[in-house]
Amino acid sequence: MGANISQLERDIGSEQFPSNEHYFGLVNFGNTCYSNSVLQALYFCKPFRDKVLEYKAKNKRTKETLLTCLADLFYSIATQKKKVGSIAPKKFIARLRKEKEEFDNYMQQDAHEFLNFLINHISEIILAERQQNSSTNNIKSKNPGENGTIHVPSEPTWVHEIFQGILTSETRCLNCETISSKDEDFFDLQVDIEQNTSITHCLRCFSNTETLCSDNKFKCDNCSSYQEAQKRMRVKKLPMILALHLKRFKYMEQYNRHIKVSHRVVFPLELRLFNTSDDAVNPDRLYDLVAVVIHCGSGPNRGHYISIVKSHGFWLLFDDDQVDKIDASTIEDFYGLTSDTQKSSETGYILFYQSRESL
Amino acid sequence: MANLKTGGQTNRKKVQVSMVICEAEEKKHRSGINALQFDASLSRLFSAGRDSIIRVYEHERYLQSMEHHTDWVNDIVLCCNGRNLISASSDTTVKVWNAHKGFCMSTLRTHKDYVKALAYAKDREQVASAGLDKSIYLWDVTTLTALTASNNTVTTSSLVGNKESIYSLAMNPPGSVIVSGSTEKALRFWDPRTCAKLFKLKGHADNVKALVVSRDGTHCISGSSDGSIRVWSLGGQRCIQTIRVHSGSVWALLATDNFQYVISGGRDKKVIMTELKNPQNSIVVCVEEAPVLRMCFTADHQAIWVSTSDSNIRCWKLPTEKHMKDETKLQTNPIALIPGGAAIRQAVVLNDKRHIITKDTDNNVAVYDVLKAQKVEDLGQVDFQQEIKNRFKVVYVPNWFNVDLKTGMLTIHLGQDEVDCFSAWVSARDAGIKDAPEPEQKVNYGKLLLQALLEHWRGVDTDPENKLYFSVPPHTPLIFSEVGGRTLYRVVVGDAAGDTETSLLNETVPSWVTSNLEENCTGKFIKIQFYLQPHSSVPSHLLKQDRLKKPDRLVANDFIQCRKVAEHILDKLLGEGNAGSPGAAGDADSTTPANGMTADQIELMCNDQVLDPSMDLRTVKYFIWKMSSDLTLYYKLNNVK
Repeated sequence: MGANISQLERDIGSEQFPSNEHYFGLVNFGNTCYSNSVLQALYFCKPFRDKVLEYKAKNKRTKETLLTCLADLFYSIATQKKKVGSIAPKKFIARLRKEKEEFDNYMQQDAHEFLNFLINHISEIILAERQQNSSTNNIKSKNPGENGTIHVPSEPTWVHEIFQGILTSETRCLNCETISSKDEDFFDLQVDIEQNTSITHCLRCFSNTETLCSDNKFKCDNCSSYQEAQKRMRVKKLPMILALHLKRFKYMEQYNRHIKVSHRVVFPLELRLFNTSDDAVNPDRLYDLVAVVIHCGSGPNRGHYISIVKSHGFWLLFDDDQVDKIDASTIEDFYGLTSDTQKSSETGYILFYQSRESL
Repeated sequence: MANLKTGGQTNRKKVQVSMVICEAEEKKHRSGINALQFDASLSRLFSAGRDSIIRVYEHERYLQSMEHHTDWVNDIVLCCNGRNLISASSDTTVKVWNAHKGFCMSTLRTHKDYVKALAYAKDREQVASAGLDKSIYLWDVTTLTALTASNNTVTTSSLVGNKESIYSLAMNPPGSVIVSGSTEKALRFWDPRTCAKLFKLKGHADNVKALVVSRDGTHCISGSSDGSIRVWSLGGQRCIQTIRVHSGSVWALLATDNFQYVISGGRDKKVIMTELKNPQNSIVVCVEEAPVLRMCFTADHQAIWVSTSDSNIRCWKLPTEKHMKDETKLQTNPIALIPGGAAIRQAVVLNDKRHIITKDTDNNVAVYDVLKAQKVEDLGQVDFQQEIKNRFKVVYVPNWFNVDLKTGMLTIHLGQDEVDCFSAWVSARDAGIKDAPEPEQKVNYGKLLLQALLEHWRGVDTDPENKLYFSVPPHTPLIFSEVGGRTLYRVVVGDAAGDTETSLLNETVPSWVTSNLEENCTGKFIKIQFYLQPHSSVPSHLLKQDRLKKPDRLVANDFIQCRKVAEHILDKLLGEGNAGSPGAAGDADSTTPANGMTADQIELMCNDQVLDPSMDLRTVKYFIWKMSSDLTLYYKLNNVK
């Protein structure tokens, strides 16, 4: 390795090296790659990184939370003097282990569970802080009517603005053909996968029509009775960053544990959703792949997580403290395996697509 | 009346007991009408109601009701020159009726899910039935009408191949071809003579809900939820025409004899007549007030009867050739009307778990008494929500039945087992039994109703101790069914004493019902656990010393009133200022408390609210404690010297 110039810098080339950008690996504290891989992916989801840094700038030394630890970590990467290197997310991991019992050990964890926990937890912290501010700033005369407290839907936080989408489930009674629909929020879509398909195909299956029949009929309000019905889930509001969780760990009864499904599922660099509802707000959103969390190995509690991210037009691979520039064609290696004989594989597990208008 | 038994009886699912609250004679349809048949020789119209009743009209006048189904009647066919009627229902049965006299001759239980459609081949007296169990069965009508109570086995051939729920079925009069329409979106054809599968035709983009086959079996017309009508050539095995005249799903079809015109009815409430050779030539026959479900010709074929998801049946004049050519405007009024009644659409069980307040499609509000199985008040078009509020009482009685409005009448499903069904104990006084020997005696709502429903089967109990407090109208239908599923037996309460009925009831009534009716089931009161603690204001010298250490955990019947709890406190918890010896507690029962207090001086509190002495514990728990954890009560002493 050269005296001052790293292999990565040489690969990128000093002229091409983006100003104001830092590529820092994260030190592994014993099976913390599930966290490292997700943190890197999130760092390179630009809207998320910007908001975390903004939070850091606005909140001078409050009580330590997982969010302040994350903000400190992102800030420390963003303000490094060196362009490349590695950093130890010590405080963040320590805080994480305090916050959630399941992560308080040296075992391998599920990266998606971690992502899910992190996003939910951060939004809760923001909401709690907001409530605290409003209750100290203006103490409203609380008048909970006869029915007790009135639930006021809270303003979305920046976490919601970035990750939250809306799924709508539409149920059509097959007798009167009335359609009733119900909305639910999501931070990521959990997609079942099939061998030798694409993510577009899997998303289409996600929105396939399910018939509610025999003992599972639908209680139709219009018919006042149980009738057959067709139900499907479609996306009504497309999020700014679409996180897709490929369900690669299937519980197998005969083994009494989760087995990895290494199916080859192609994920394109550009994605458009076709499973949107008729009343979708922004059905034509075009998404670009910005980060992928990759699982390497044969099972959920064994193996390793790495991530690939797109930054300033080129792709980087983060493997804990190691950072390498990779060719875009390398992404194909992470689609999965066409045969089911091999148990271990390096496969895309969580895909982060960012809407082009927010890039 | 004969009932077919099928093999399922031995390995039977849990049995549910239900009843329908209705009038002695339900002359008007309560809800939508799924099918119509016209008997030209007697000028009688048969209509198949969602209220489970088939009604017969002669020259538009109500003649009689054919009641035996327990759920929607989805289709009917008249056969044997009008002598018999076959009906298909969501209660999963097919029934054979004497159409002239209106009684049910036999019940076929071969289907495993809603039976949605029937088809009839007049020349061969053959009927086919199909439904959501994906099956099609062929029935020989002469065999069906020969069934008796003792000889009730029948063989059927089935047409196999359907992969999805069947919503429509048609056969040509000679019975050489049968076609089914399903959510598969394709039409499937068989030869009913050989049961051989012929072919399947694709083209529709949604469920196929209506079918007609030409007499010669060369053509077929289909109506689909995709909004189109398609004409198919069976010889060419292809669609030869697509007609789009409706703005929504096509649910009903009728073809003129020579297949010159098709008349279609849709979810868009319109009935449209279209010339098949020249589909641009189409004319709106009428616009109904609700989606059109079925149509049938009058005797002269110059008009049609139309039924909808509303309860009215109207007769509309069909356009003549002249109308079709000149597009002359048709009349906007029906030439005849058989008015329907209102269906109950909303029902709220009041807190006493005995009265139900309902609102029907005419916005009329009424109150029903479940124990008496009848309407007790007609309130007219008042504000439903306000009326519910007005009748709100702070009293909690456990649920012991569910209400079902599928037929537009109140169907009451009793709790599915002895725990659920017999959970509601109330005092004879609260139950409004005026001549009760002991007003505080507990009676059980589930038991009272079952006693009334089975009164004629069991015979009236002569034992005065066990006397009947209520009876229900003898016309009340009593239904036994598999939980959430197929009907096993339906009988009218007053008929239960008949020989056939008695033996069928002996087989059908679940043992938990019989055993609980015969035995004295006082041991099965519902218990409630609670803690008693002295309020901080209670001077400690008044308490027995050991009561100060930990709260008293008690178990009592859930209908015990606070007054009783106060008496218990007086008897057991209040000491005489000194620590009670071990034997003292037992003596307290017989002696008046030394401090001369009475139970009226003890005030019970829960969640800082003073409790009325007449309030029972389950009401306290439900309305004041409002948690599932064990209830905690505090007691306070008033006017202590």
